[in-house]
Amino acid sequence: MKIVVASGKGGTGKSMLASSLSLLFSEITSIVACDCDVDAPNLGLWLGITTYDSVEAISTSEKAEIDSEKCVGCGKCFDNCLFGAIEKADSKFFVNGLLCEGCGVCKIVCSACAINLAPVMNGEIRIKKTIWGFPLVSGQLKPGETGSGKIVQELRKRADQLSHNVMILDAAAGIGCPVIASIVGCDYAVLVTEPTPSGFSDLERVLKIVNYFRVPYGIVLNKWDINPEVSQKIEKWSGEKFLGKISYDREVVNSIVNLRPVIVSKSKVKKEIKEIFEKIKELI
Amino acid sequence: MKMIASTGGKGGTGKSTFAILSALKFSNQGKKVLLCDCDVECPNDHLLLGKELRESEPIYQDLPELDAEKCVSCGTCSKVCKENAIFWVKGKTPIIFEDLCIGCGACWIVCPQNAIKRKEKVVGETFETKISENLWLLTGVSEPGVSETGPIVKEAKKRALKLAKRIGAEILIIDTAPGTHCNVIQALLGCEKAYVVTEPTPLGAHDAALILDLLKMMNIRSEIVLNKADIGSEALIKKIADEYDVPITIRIPYSEKVIRAYSEGRLDRIVGLV
Repeated sequence: MKIVVASGKGGTGKSMLASSLSLLFSEITSIVACDCDVDAPNLGLWLGITTYDSVEAISTSEKAEIDSEKCVGCGKCFDNCLFGAIEKADSKFFVNGLLCEGCGVCKIVCSACAINLAPVMNGEIRIKKTIWGFPLVSGQLKPGETGSGKIVQELRKRADQLSHNVMILDAAAGIGCPVIASIVGCDYAVLVTEPTPSGFSDLERVLKIVNYFRVPYGIVLNKWDINPEVSQKIEKWSGEKFLGKISYDREVVNSIVNLRPVIVSKSKVKKEIKEIFEKIKELI
Repeated sequence: MKMIASTGGKGGTGKSTFAILSALKFSNQGKKVLLCDCDVECPNDHLLLGKELRESEPIYQDLPELDAEKCVSCGTCSKVCKENAIFWVKGKTPIIFEDLCIGCGACWIVCPQNAIKRKEKVVGETFETKISENLWLLTGVSEPGVSETGPIVKEAKKRALKLAKRIGAEILIIDTAPGTHCNVIQALLGCEKAYVVTEPTPLGAHDAALILDLLKMMNIRSEIVLNKADIGSEALIKKIADEYDVPITIRIPYSEKVIRAYSEGRLDRIVGLV
């Protein structure tokens, strides 16, 4: 059983909820938690992890290199690169590694056979047993590298190899490649939103992805009391998909400062998350 | 024209809020300002300004289309595709999975039979919105399901630069997506300064360090904007700021007023904060 937590908008409380749901599920079955936000992985912090014992460097992308000795300056690479990764200087061409996606088009069109593709170590996969007893698999894309979706695929493979009944996946913000790679193949999606125009708009956008992959879903409304009026609208709009709401509580900030999931804090949101968990348990 | 960015690594730290407040501040001072919403996967600046997006201009990208009549099932296309978007079994006609395709063009370039044509597909759109006499907004929006959003940001910025010229903008403010990958890199490209908007929590500190790494690689001067400055622990961010030798120049306090203005799409009410 794979449960993904997603939201479109950043900062709605995905990792806050994913960490607490992980703890609650771990009390009834074996679980593995997956931090699929490889750009800015934060689930580990919520689960009390600041350092990892095992770090595996991985390569899921290649980058082009132009041999300036061989380059004849024809510019075909420049004309054909969709990503704007080829730059010109002194009638020769160079690859901007920050923009290269490793698609290999430049190598194909090069009239002087001056271009090579070389694998780059673009990320890391880290595994650690949390103090809560279950393992966390976390990925990290190196800043400036590409291929975040492929790192998500890799880390999901690693998580699959660990024995578990339930996998909790914490997705990145947005609706692009890493998020698609997190949602695809999941059995259930928990979509977290907040009562703001942005939260609602981004919920609708991530929902298009969830529906496209036909993943059953439920909606959680976080910080509902910062705008009860909009909250009511979202709750009504969600209909039977509504899983529950979580209050805004500054105690949540204290939880993360102490690197502890809110479900073990004194916050009033504990009870609300427990209710959401019970509902998800019934649904899956 | 000055081009500056509002970024931050982590989501929900206040990147858009800071970008908009800055845009409003400069435009109120009489400067011509263009704000470019480069968070194309989840663009929200218009919502925070209480505006609707009208009159879209599509962004096209070429995608491959296989002509089965011409195809001799050699599999060359499948072999060059780095995204594994072309499935081919020896002797069979390949199948192209558009969802995985990034439109790089490798397949139609290599096809010895010219059996792969390009077809235009809408991958996104841009909108121009006049906010006030001195302030314009250009919004980039990706089509849901498009996974590679870097090229959409690239096109949105191209159009923003054109618009900036047309309106005589003195400042172009780029509002980036969260994260540190290709869509953010495209947005930061060419900016002379970046404001890293973060919050005083371990999450904010962790993600600010990641984006500062990227900004360092890109040689972009940075400053830290500490949002919700009075909750959590500023020492966490101070440590990162010292490590990267980047000053914390702006502090925005946590306030009910900000949250209300945000949730009502009326950031213009709190413009005095930056």
